[in-house]
Amino acid sequence: MKRTLPLFLTFVVGMFPIFAFFVPHRAVSNLNQQLDTWLVIVAAFALPLGVVNLVGSNIDKIKRKQRGWPYSVVLIAGLCIMAFYGIVGGEQGFHPYFQYMFVNMVSPLQATMFSLLAFYVASAAYRAFRARNIEATVLLAAAIIVMMGRIPFGDMLTGGKMTPISEWIMTKPNAAAQRGIIIGAALGAASMQIRVILGIERTYLGKGQE
Amino acid sequence: MKVEKLLYIDRRIIYLLVAIGALIPIIRPIGLPVVPTSPVKGLFDKIEGLGPDDAVMISFDYGPSSEPELNPMAAAILRHLFIRRIRVIVVAIFPLGGVSMAIQEVGRVSKEFDLEYGVDFVNLGYKDGGQAPMKAMGVSIQDVFPADVDGRPTRDMPLIQEVKNYEDIDVVISLATGVIGEWWANLINAQFGVDVAVGCTAVSAPKYYAYLRSGQMIGLLGGLKGASEYEKLLIDRYPKARELYARPDEAKRSAMTGMDVQSIVHIIIIAFIIFGNTMYFILRRSQRR
Amino acid sequence: MRFWHVMLLIGLSWLCFTLTPIGWVHAIDIEGLVAQDTPSDGGQSIDLRWTSSSLNRVIILRSTSRDSGFTVIGEAIASDGAYTDFSVVEGKQYFYRLGWLSGEDTVYTSIAGPAVAKSNWFRKHRLNALVTTVLMFVLVVTFVNKAKQGKPLYIRRISGLSAIDEAVGRATEMGKKILYIPGILSLSEIQTIASLSILKHIAKLTAIYGTDIEVPNKDPLVFSAARETVREAYLEAGKPDQYREEMVSYLTYDQFAYAASVTAKMVRERPATNFFIGSFFAESLILAETGQGVGAIQIAGTADIPQLPFFVTACDYTLLGEELFAASAYLSREPVLLGSIKAQDVMKAIIMVVIGTGIVTYAFGSEFIRNLLLSR
Repeated sequence: MKRTLPLFLTFVVGMFPIFAFFVPHRAVSNLNQQLDTWLVIVAAFALPLGVVNLVGSNIDKIKRKQRGWPYSVVLIAGLCIMAFYGIVGGEQGFHPYFQYMFVNMVSPLQATMFSLLAFYVASAAYRAFRARNIEATVLLAAAIIVMMGRIPFGDMLTGGKMTPISEWIMTKPNAAAQRGIIIGAALGAASMQIRVILGIERTYLGKGQE
Repeated sequence: MKVEKLLYIDRRIIYLLVAIGALIPIIRPIGLPVVPTSPVKGLFDKIEGLGPDDAVMISFDYGPSSEPELNPMAAAILRHLFIRRIRVIVVAIFPLGGVSMAIQEVGRVSKEFDLEYGVDFVNLGYKDGGQAPMKAMGVSIQDVFPADVDGRPTRDMPLIQEVKNYEDIDVVISLATGVIGEWWANLINAQFGVDVAVGCTAVSAPKYYAYLRSGQMIGLLGGLKGASEYEKLLIDRYPKARELYARPDEAKRSAMTGMDVQSIVHIIIIAFIIFGNTMYFILRRSQRR
Repeated sequence: MRFWHVMLLIGLSWLCFTLTPIGWVHAIDIEGLVAQDTPSDGGQSIDLRWTSSSLNRVIILRSTSRDSGFTVIGEAIASDGAYTDFSVVEGKQYFYRLGWLSGEDTVYTSIAGPAVAKSNWFRKHRLNALVTTVLMFVLVVTFVNKAKQGKPLYIRRISGLSAIDEAVGRATEMGKKILYIPGILSLSEIQTIASLSILKHIAKLTAIYGTDIEVPNKDPLVFSAARETVREAYLEAGKPDQYREEMVSYLTYDQFAYAASVTAKMVRERPATNFFIGSFFAESLILAETGQGVGAIQIAGTADIPQLPFFVTACDYTLLGEELFAASAYLSREPVLLGSIKAQDVMKAIIMVVIGTGIVTYAFGSEFIRNLLLSR
């Protein structure tokens, strides 16, 4: 039962959306929408699990005065304050203090982390774009053309030719290669999903294969 | 030995030069020319063909991390719609900040025009569930959003009374990070036939070209460049837009200013690549000897 | 009649027949108004169809009885020839007619109906998708059964997966930990499930070699599943006492806060080996480049196409798309799993043949295969 019930549930819950994709009957679509809602509820209940683990491990760190314990105090304080004003603010989170903290703290912090990409792209490009062989040279040339095509300098230096060439690279070879990888990945995903639905793949349960 | 040291340059030097390259155009703007491309013109021309009887839905599907790229896009598109008095329905499907971005941008841009909330535009806020509310809006927008972002009943709003579902919407514009833009192009365009355009971060733009080529999307704004091209089209077409973007606070946050930074940083990266390859070939030649 | 009389007459005629705002006298030719249940839906709508070449607006009227009670429910352009009424109740009879202004009067078409919205049992326009789905299922079951009969199945070498042992060995030799990132999406994403199957294999190796492993998570459901997976791996390796709860932790649900936390961990603790297996977004380069900077050997795997270039440049080995999904079969060498990979390959071959044939036939003007593959 401990082994069979999860597999049976996986089969039913996995097959039903496939069934609903082909059957438009109202009874089927209503139940399918219910499944989506249940998924959201299950995920919401899983969130406290993670929060309990997070708070527990940080409180442990503070108690034992492990290295970096003041940052755990900041984490727990931030979590409590943000959660309090978020709950008080209702479904849309419209409490002024919540909005203030979101706009002036969370938002700039996230934008800062995202902007690190600019630096990392530079160092990754410098390290990786070397003309070691023909393929690497083609990659290098395409990268330079597309980068130049994305800025006005490219057109200024080439009399307006850089943008069309860059667009051609993006819409022809790039799109073709992406479609090929997408088809392959989709088939791989479909095969994996069929294995999960049929109970052949069980590692997500913590168990081995069939 | 010296060449080897130059080949494996300390990455902190690269970071420093990129930081300087990013700061200079912010302190002293260059004002480089912007040339609009066809994916951007696709959306612009579509909106140019609409008027006060038409309605557009904008979905804010991004969070603060994508704000620098997508906020200028949102502002430019909203200004275009408001200038043409096209009715606007704003929603948010992205759970981590979509509604805050919508409140911020719509609140700011709508004040620049003489508009009536509930008649000319409405902000319906965030709806959880991903694809489920997107599909459900094909039947009734009011059922999915019985109240707007401030909790006011949507059944009393003339705009929602007239625009019932996707049949009454001329184009859906998704400002997206991640997969949500693909959901709009794949699901909503395919199932309901409504025109879809996507504004996305530059890193996501390559994957949308396939949808653009197949006709599932009518326009694509890729990253800051796409936003700057849209601003350029808007400024060239409408004196009112020219006035708005000429204000100092607006000029600072516009995509065209950001393009100066992007241009300089791209040049720095290309220079480093060329430098690195030069050192590589010199080292290889000296090793062969 | 003088010349300017003629020109005036022509000009006035042009004005009358081309500038036709709503309310002016005009003839709208509407024929063949038909109302019927929208096919292949859940009983939510009724389709109206008619033929007309006029560009004028018409109003749509509906009633539940043929003789009276018609109310306006919408508008359309006459030349559209179609309108879908979504505000119907399933099982109820409706009658429709179109109307337009002719001077002061409203002119109506004849009444169409009764039409009843019904729930249908099959979306006919998705027949091609059904055939493909059934074919995929049949292929998987066929090849899995063949594999069970003991037929050997070949799978090509995937360098990223072959390097896993080397990567774990490196961490063991250096006495440093392994960092495993199972992606940032939840268990509903199939890449995460594929990642957990690889995590189990790696956790077993770490149990056998006595190497430290850490699995920080962004999603609470994945955190629970990963914890179970690692615990089970240690149990199967016969080293349950070596398992510690701290090996698998939950950090935060926020994408960039998670990236900040993981990169800080990398810089502080300098793991010998990093695994980035699963679904990633913009944080992929931040994680990979930081790991590169601390000198870790890195193996990545994702089916998120935009992130592949970042992993390819910053990592030592990258599993591209379907290689990630083949991992559990590749690592375990279970015949049953290899059978499903074979089925996937056969399906890909069929798709390639169909696409190739479609391109050739389309080039010669035939849209048959193109129309066959279209789906809504």
